[in-house]
Amino acid sequence: MYKAQRLHPAAILEFIFRNLYKLAQALLPLIILALGESAFRSWFLTFLPIVLVLFIVYMIFYWLRFVFYVQDNELRLEYGVLVRKKRYISFERIQTVQVSAGVIQRILGLVKLQIETAGGGNKAELILPAISADKAAELQKILQKGKVFNPDVPDKDRLIQYRLSSSDLLILGSTSNSLGLILAGMLTIVSQLDKIIPNLKIWEVLGKYASNLMAGTVYITILVIIFIILLACLLSLLGNLIKFAGFTLIRDGDNLKISRGLFEKKQLSIPVKRIQALKIVEGILRQPFKMVSIQVVSISNVGDKGEGNVIMPVIPRHKMMDFLEEVLPEFYRPFEVEMLPNRSKMRYILINFIPATVLVIIIFLFLPFAYPGLILLPLAIWLGSLQYRDTGYSLQESMLIIRSRILGKVSTIVPRRKIQSLSISRNYFQVRKNLNTLRVSIASGVVPANVKLVGMDDEKSSVIIQWFSR
Amino acid sequence: MLETIPGYHRIDPRALSYWRWTGLLNSIFIWLIPLSYQQAMRWWELPLWIFPMLMLLAVSATVFKIAVIPKVRWNTWLYDVSEQQIDLRFGVFVKYRTLIPMVRVQHVDTEQGPLLSHYGLSTVTISTAAGKHKIPALADDVAAELRERISRLARMVDEDV
Repeated sequence: MYKAQRLHPAAILEFIFRNLYKLAQALLPLIILALGESAFRSWFLTFLPIVLVLFIVYMIFYWLRFVFYVQDNELRLEYGVLVRKKRYISFERIQTVQVSAGVIQRILGLVKLQIETAGGGNKAELILPAISADKAAELQKILQKGKVFNPDVPDKDRLIQYRLSSSDLLILGSTSNSLGLILAGMLTIVSQLDKIIPNLKIWEVLGKYASNLMAGTVYITILVIIFIILLACLLSLLGNLIKFAGFTLIRDGDNLKISRGLFEKKQLSIPVKRIQALKIVEGILRQPFKMVSIQVVSISNVGDKGEGNVIMPVIPRHKMMDFLEEVLPEFYRPFEVEMLPNRSKMRYILINFIPATVLVIIIFLFLPFAYPGLILLPLAIWLGSLQYRDTGYSLQESMLIIRSRILGKVSTIVPRRKIQSLSISRNYFQVRKNLNTLRVSIASGVVPANVKLVGMDDEKSSVIIQWFSR
Repeated sequence: MLETIPGYHRIDPRALSYWRWTGLLNSIFIWLIPLSYQQAMRWWELPLWIFPMLMLLAVSATVFKIAVIPKVRWNTWLYDVSEQQIDLRFGVFVKYRTLIPMVRVQHVDTEQGPLLSHYGLSTVTISTAAGKHKIPALADDVAAELRERISRLARMVDEDV
């Protein structure tokens, strides 16, 4: 039996830092008062150390009274100094377990364990901020087996491992969506330089530089642009390297385990039966490389937005099916996508063409050289027909596969049993053309995930409804 | 025009009066537009002819919200609760049909605000792991019975998320 025990003493530091902000908030009115009145200031400065010492002592008591143990297939947590709180989480209800370790924690050989259930809120239901790595591993095994730890070595045959090679990482970094973010970030930093360094007048300097360039050759301008893009690539590469270095995916029995990270090691384990849906994402930058990424939708608030659920950040498209067959046979379905009827094509074109037209009109009204803006119109039509071409579905015995595109192409594979509700809707235009929008709701953390197919044929939709409600 | 599909239930006719009141209350926000335009005219030079247009807009929106929308909404609201699933049809401008399998129902609530309670009406809210669905304005006893029924049926087919 996993006995009642405390966290590692380093957790005291974690508690102190976590609550320091709250303390500062509570003291804020007093601090403002002390800044204003000198008489009050000396009084405040005498009492501040006492308050801080009391605060630290309180945090030590908090640590002393924070115990966790395993009993009756439940992970139990008891904490609180004055008000005792107890939190029992049944193993069966656990959705995901994440283990992470920051730099300081890694020096001390500690990890942070976060356990997530289907309950609401944007924080994990149970957080153990500092326990030794061995204990965390032991605890994870207990949680997964739903019984007391049995010191057997894991069955090697049951383990399937995937790693990222360095060339994968290279493609990942240079085609990531973060590229655009970094370019925008670089611009922001440049514009902020003005405030940090007075009298620099960065825009004037840049403007002069730019006009010099214009006066010079186009050649140099292109060189500068290439340099900026390369720099952004490099930064994006570094960011992804830090995030995904040492990426390993293991299928261990009924669980998927992912570990990644250079400075902060992150480990996530997801029970396969908890996976609500699978997403195959072909980013627009990755399409030329024929690379896709695979994500899972699960009830979890632990991961960073979106990133926590990536089970394969980058994989060649032709290897994707083999990967699924091996790692997630539950979701392995060779599928042929059925396209939308021809009469819904117009909607996809108009939905891009109309905003583009508005944009072009604005450009003509306000910008001196507007003719290059006209290129937006054919681009919008092209994107619309691309979106139409890539939208579709495939109905299987126990799965529904929905594919759609905004910029990147996303295929969502949902088991019938994981569809929380299904709805069809018709607006005025759709009624006239016997079309409808099919929506599938999937459970996922705070915000439910909805997948939709706009412009479905009415008869095809009723087939899906019958499939769903049998 | 009354849509009727055999097997489906309608919501309570008293919903009409309830929606007319909420429509009236909601249109207060629309009236803020001409009123604030009138205020703005005192401070800036603004064309006068826009004001009656805005007034006309507010009046017609209010009439629309009180006379037209509640009727259409009532006509289009249909629901059916069978042992396997909950089937909802509704929508004024966009027509919706939503299916919720009984297995996916997490819990059911009934609720009523002061206005609903005045008419003896309740709203039934059905929660799944991916959001809520509402059946508005049912007679109190019908709502309570429906809540019990759904809750019983959902328990019978309990399954984990």
